[in-house]
Amino acid sequence: MSTDGSTHKTGAAASIQRLFRNTGVAVSGALSRRDGQVFLGVFGVAYFLLYLAGLRHLGFGPPAYEISVVSDPLTRAFRQVGPFQWEPVALVVVGPVELLVAPLNMLLGGVLAALVGLNLAVSVVAWRGPAACRLGSGAGVVSGLPGLLSGFACCGPTILLVVGVQASAGLLSLFQWLLPLTVVALLGTLLWVGSRVETVRQVP
Amino acid sequence: MRISRRRFLATVGAGVTLGGAGCVGDDGATAGAGSEPDSSTGTSAASTATDRNDRPEPPTADSRLHLDYETGTLEEHIVSGGVPKDGIPAIDDPTFADTPPDGLAPDDPVFGVVRDGEAKAYPQYILVHHEIVNDTIAGDAVAVTYCPLTGTAQGFERGPVEFGVSGRLVNSNLTMYDRGTDSWWPQMLATAIKGPLTGESLREFRVTWTTWSHWSSVYPETRILTEDTGFSRRYGVDPYGQYNEKRGYYSSTRTLFEPLHGDSRAHPKVVVIGTRTETGALAFDKETLLNQGVLTGRIDDTPYVAIADTDLASGYVYANPESMSVAASDDGYMIDGTAYDADSLPLDRTLSFDAMWFAWAGFYPGSGYVN
Repeated sequence: MSTDGSTHKTGAAASIQRLFRNTGVAVSGALSRRDGQVFLGVFGVAYFLLYLAGLRHLGFGPPAYEISVVSDPLTRAFRQVGPFQWEPVALVVVGPVELLVAPLNMLLGGVLAALVGLNLAVSVVAWRGPAACRLGSGAGVVSGLPGLLSGFACCGPTILLVVGVQASAGLLSLFQWLLPLTVVALLGTLLWVGSRVETVRQVP
Repeated sequence: MRISRRRFLATVGAGVTLGGAGCVGDDGATAGAGSEPDSSTGTSAASTATDRNDRPEPPTADSRLHLDYETGTLEEHIVSGGVPKDGIPAIDDPTFADTPPDGLAPDDPVFGVVRDGEAKAYPQYILVHHEIVNDTIAGDAVAVTYCPLTGTAQGFERGPVEFGVSGRLVNSNLTMYDRGTDSWWPQMLATAIKGPLTGESLREFRVTWTTWSHWSSVYPETRILTEDTGFSRRYGVDPYGQYNEKRGYYSSTRTLFEPLHGDSRAHPKVVVIGTRTETGALAFDKETLLNQGVLTGRIDDTPYVAIADTDLASGYVYANPESMSVAASDDGYMIDGTAYDADSLPLDRTLSFDAMWFAWAGFYPGSGYVN
């Protein structure tokens, strides 16, 4: 039995290793193509901007030109003001565009945007490939939606006003988990794509 | 390029890369719950805060304000507002100017305070991002507070402590905490429902909800809170809607959180001028008051009269136990053949403030509603 168990563990480890390797192959393959690069860039940037807009860190205001930084930005940057939300340390106004700079949120938004972009790039390249590995090109975008919603959870769950639902303890708890859920969903879809790639390589 | 005037901010060049990213009392010294110190003279000096277990405390009233619920019941209804303690940061180092911020339109709402002849205005569009201003007016340590979800602006003596935003709500209302004892104070109740000071009521003073044009006309020498708050915020953006013209949450029939008690006598967001004493609560429809000038109601068997102040588009509430006749005239308000200004009737004025109806009725289901 121990031999069987060891063999089973070795098999599982090999499968996981193969999954990650194939996902890596899928990502690098997608990014070697022009259409893959375009999808990563366009949708990554679009998601990043939407995420900041959801936080209300990005939007339009009275036209002006201004860059201002709070007095103790390094300390302020780590002050949490909500679930996965941190204190802005600067305000940048360029014409009608206003941007609040919260470094940790920009970093988080960047990671999420990269994951969304990679999902889409790989999905689209795979969709354009052989029939055996055709994937829904919306998979990456759908998995990124919770991250966008989490941005609206600041200053009270005002998004619920739009939806027309009253807040409850359960709903508010859900908001706190939107972002981790996003990361898991995005990584999950990316690995799923990796598993599909393996199919392609085994079927001549 | 307009350079920010923010005192706390280090202005940097456009080419610089960012490196990282709550009786007109005889002496005013011991104002009781529900009574209103003379805000124009500021005679309600805060009492010396006592230390229980060496913790500084906010000064409290001699008697507790009326509650329609037990404090334990209210505590059970505390809910998370979706942000942590101080996630909405109070302004602890406010700065003021003689001229209004660029972002303030004449018809935008401001919260006005006058103490000992010193007038200050706090723009709603700034307080919606902070909810509490720990300030000093005419030498008195005070907190000017605003809850966007219940549409209430109220003032409290704070003594040696500051107030912060707990991140929790009761009946959609801002629940403050004092940074001395960590007691929790729903703003509208002005009474602690959790912590060492449970059951105590804060000392309150009048905050007038009006517009900048009204306030600056009546108090041209007023100073006004600036955007130099110590925080980076997009102050032009109100997460809940707008007041000038009313939109979003401020006009919707919807509430974000279920009220403690539903009441269909009025639209949930209709503005009432409410007053509560040691024995009960009473609300007057603000629009009706401003149109008619005088409204009357009762708390238990005691008559009260509400008077409109057209200069400030606001109102005052007085206890009128003798049921004296009050009539609006071109010269003011007539009592026994003498004309008085709205804020100086020869009656005991009770503290009153604007509130959304759903919030008032939620906290005070036994309250009368006069319209």
